[in-house]
Formats: sequence, C-alpha cells, structure tokens
Amino acid sequence: MAAWGELLAGVRGVLLDISGVLYDGGEGGGEPIAGSVEAVARLKRSPLKVRFCTNESQKSRGDLVGLLRRLGFDISEGEVTAPAPATCLILKERGLRPHLLVHDGVRSEFDQIDTSNPNCVVIADAGESFSYHNMNKAFQVLMELENPVLLSLGKGRYYKETSGLLLDVGPYMKALEYACGIEAEVVGKPSPEFFKSALQEMGVEAHQAVMIGDDIVGDVGGAQRCGMRALQVRTGKYRPSDEHHPEVKADGYVDNLAEAVDLLLQHTDK
Amino acid sequence: MAARRALKAVLVDLNGTLHIEDAAVPGAQEALKRLRATSVVVKFVTNTTKESKQDLMERLKKLEFDISEDEIFTSLTAARNLVEQKQVRPMLLVDDRALPDFKGIQTSDPNAVVIGLAPEHFHYQILNQAFRLLLDGAPLIAIHKARYYKRKDGLALGPGPFVTALEFATDTKATVVGKPAQTFFLEALRGTGCEPEEAVMIGDDCRDDVGGAQNVGMRGILVKTGKYRAADEEKINPAPYLTCESFPHAVDHILQHLL
Repeated sequence: MAAWGELLAGVRGVLLDISGVLYDGGEGGGEPIAGSVEAVARLKRSPLKVRFCTNESQKSRGDLVGLLRRLGFDISEGEVTAPAPATCLILKERGLRPHLLVHDGVRSEFDQIDTSNPNCVVIADAGESFSYHNMNKAFQVLMELENPVLLSLGKGRYYKETSGLLLDVGPYMKALEYACGIEAEVVGKPSPEFFKSALQEMGVEAHQAVMIGDDIVGDVGGAQRCGMRALQVRTGKYRPSDEHHPEVKADGYVDNLAEAVDLLLQHTDK
Repeated sequence: MAARRALKAVLVDLNGTLHIEDAAVPGAQEALKRLRATSVVVKFVTNTTKESKQDLMERLKKLEFDISEDEIFTSLTAARNLVEQKQVRPMLLVDDRALPDFKGIQTSDPNAVVIGLAPEHFHYQILNQAFRLLLDGAPLIAIHKARYYKRKDGLALGPGPFVTALEFATDTKATVVGKPAQTFFLEALRGTGCEPEEAVMIGDDCRDDVGGAQNVGMRGILVKTGKYRAADEEKINPAPYLTCESFPHAVDHILQHLL
C-alpha cells in the first residue's frame, strides 16, 4: 500500500463530503456510517482544520445540519459549504430570476430570491419532483429564452440511500442540456470555484488540504484538479470499479472515514 | 460516378411523406399504385414510439392507401428484433399504445431496458428502476433519440433527453434502433433480397431519412412536404440524390430514370 506518511505530509486541513461519508440518507433521515461520528469528533479535537463540503441540494443547509446533529455529529451550519447558498449569491450578482426545479426541502434557501418572470432555470436534486411534467416546464422556460441559462446544483450521477442507489441531479441536468442544445453551469463539486470557496472558508491552501469523499469524479477528481490531495472512501456510492476509473485515480483508498482519520492523525504533523 | 445497380426496392417514410397527420399528400395514393405496378419491392419505414403497426394500418386504410401490415417496418419493430436477437427480457419504457408490437416478449425479471416516449412512465421511481438495471449491466435500447416534438400546447421533451440522462448516470451508450441508425435501414431491407445499392429511400427528414439511408449506400430522395424547411437539403454532405416537391414527383423520377 501507499506510503501514507509521504502521501499525507504537510496536510493542514480536511474537507469532508457528507452523504456517503458521514451518513447514508434514507427512511427516517438515514443512519450514520459506522465509526464516522467518532471520526469527526477526533478530527475536530486534532490540530487539523475541518470543513464540510457537500453537494446536498435536496435539503436546506439548516435541515441537513439538524439531521446530522440528531445522528450524533458535531457540526454547525457555519462549517458547511453547500451549493444552494452559493447559487443564491450568483443569482443576485447576475440579476437572474430562476424557475426552480428543486425539492420542496430546499425551497426555503431561495426565499429571498425573485422568481417572477424567470430568465433562467435552477435545477437541483429534486427527487420525486423529477416528473416528466416538471422537466417539461423547465425545458419550455429555457426554450423561450434568447440566452438560456441553466444553473445546476452539482452534477452527480447518483448517490446512495439505505434503500439503494438513486439518480442524482446530473442525469436530469444532462437531459435538459441535450434537449435545449446548451451547457449548464455547475454550482458545487466538481466546479473549482466551489472547492476554492470551501478552502478559503477553511483558511487552508489547496496543497495543504485533503478531500475525503465517496465520489471518484465529483469529489476526488474535482479536488485533485484544484491542487488538493483526495482520498476515496469505500462507503456510500463507492463501487469497486471506481479503483480502476479510466480518468481519475485517488491518492489513496480507505475503507471508511474512520480509517482515513486514523491515517491522518498518525501521519500528519502534530 | 460509378454505375449503379438496377433498382429493386423503395423505402417510403409515412408521416410527412405519404400523409401529413390525417390528410394524404395530394396524389400519393395514385402514385403508390403506379410504383406497385412495377417489379420493385415497397416498404414503409417510420420512427414511431407510440403507434403500433395496427394503429398505423388503421390510419393508412382510412386515407385509402393500399398497404399491408408486413410491409411496414418501424423503430418499434427494430427494437423488438434486437430484443429477440439478444434474447433479453426488457423493461418496456414505452407508451401503452406501443405494447401490441411487443406481444409475446417476456418482460418479467427484466435484464434490458427499452426506452421510447412514455411521459406517464418517465417519473423518478421508474427511471431509478431502469437506472439500477443498467448499472447491473443490462443493455439500453432506445427507439430513437429525438430532443423534442411539437404538441398542440407547445414543444415537449422527446425520448432523447431521458436516454441521455440514463446514459450519463450509468456511463454507457444506448443502442439507438430508429432512423438514422444504419441497422434500421439494413433491417428494413432484410428479407427483400436486395442490397442497399439497389434501394432508394423517400422521406421528408433530410438527416434521418435521406442522410441515414445514404450512409448505408442507398440513394435518398428528399420531399418538400411534412417537416421539410427551405434549404434542408444543404444540411447533409453528400447532398440528397434528389430533392423534389412531393412523393408523386419522387415516384415519377423513379419510373423514368431508375428502372
């Protein structure tokens, strides 16, 4: 196996993906992944800086943090970088009024945004709301616009809930791209701006940070392109074929967050 | 130009070429009769995701076209053929009206996905089921990949976006069986005993009818009816073998120059 001491030398900050690393969502909110509650606590007691970097777009940041705290995690809203708040900043900056194709659970994040007479579409993990009817409405809004703008909160292919793998926003974003002949702007991982803002909020340079996630492309590939190191956990949506991905190779593979934290505490500077 | 072999088969598109919705193209019935009086084999080929052969037959009968069911080859037929060839049990994401064309196909415990245009099936739960089958290695068979189509209330998503969604989710490519897929034209000719070089395709869609047919070595005739828009014939290279006003003109050309 890799020489972990060398691999993790100089790490000062850790970015943690949430779904599939801390917990698996599902009925009744979901359940923590074995060892992850303690792993986060140990990390926070260490000198390493910690920040959570999620593409969760079905729940508001407040609801997500509330759920994680109920599951036993030590986490607060201010420690989480999430795509919905980042999207609101972009909408305000560019004077965009979105048609929202989102889950009801995240709608409150857009309370302060003008959604009348839309001049763009915002798509997020809408879950059950991804009906033909709702997709068609978003499509029709885009086709009416002279310069169609599609903002997508992440572009993940799928994620894992306790009931099994579920389609994420990415496939639906691709559907609208194909239908309208346009390209979406992704807010969230793997977009470099998103990782950079998380790093900035953590106060750590890319070369001193490591990303830990279950998504070989969105987490690992995205972080590496920003100059970070990245570990993939064998939990959540992880599939064995990820370790032979044609384009992305993680700096290391670990069984779960607990193992990653063991290694970090063992091998980074005290 | 190389000498072409004698013409043995004519493939004719339906909607937009022989008829437009519920109205026949003027003179089309009579032109078809003239074509049938020759020795060529005539086949009718169409991309449909929701009309079974029976539905198509009923409409053609009403419009007084003399056509029998075994002369029709649709994208649904092509999908069925592929399912039989691969010996798979498909999950059928097609409109209920298309189901008669899959009669007798085993669909329990599915290990393949056939996707057409089925708005009532395109909800999250069903697409997740399809997604999980594909992740387990089931092949994805797409009737066709149209981006959208025109409905009375405006534009509406076609099957293409949903095929693309499943392709992206599973990092696979669908096998598209409808026009302009090469296999579509070759399958349509199967059983006629003639080579693509001995066949001509007549249609109103420059890319899907004419371009697709010419890609397998057939001659393509573009008619200026149906979805034809000015300068469509410039959209493909090489250009259509012939562009003419309508189906009867295409038949005139065949009778005068290709037989």
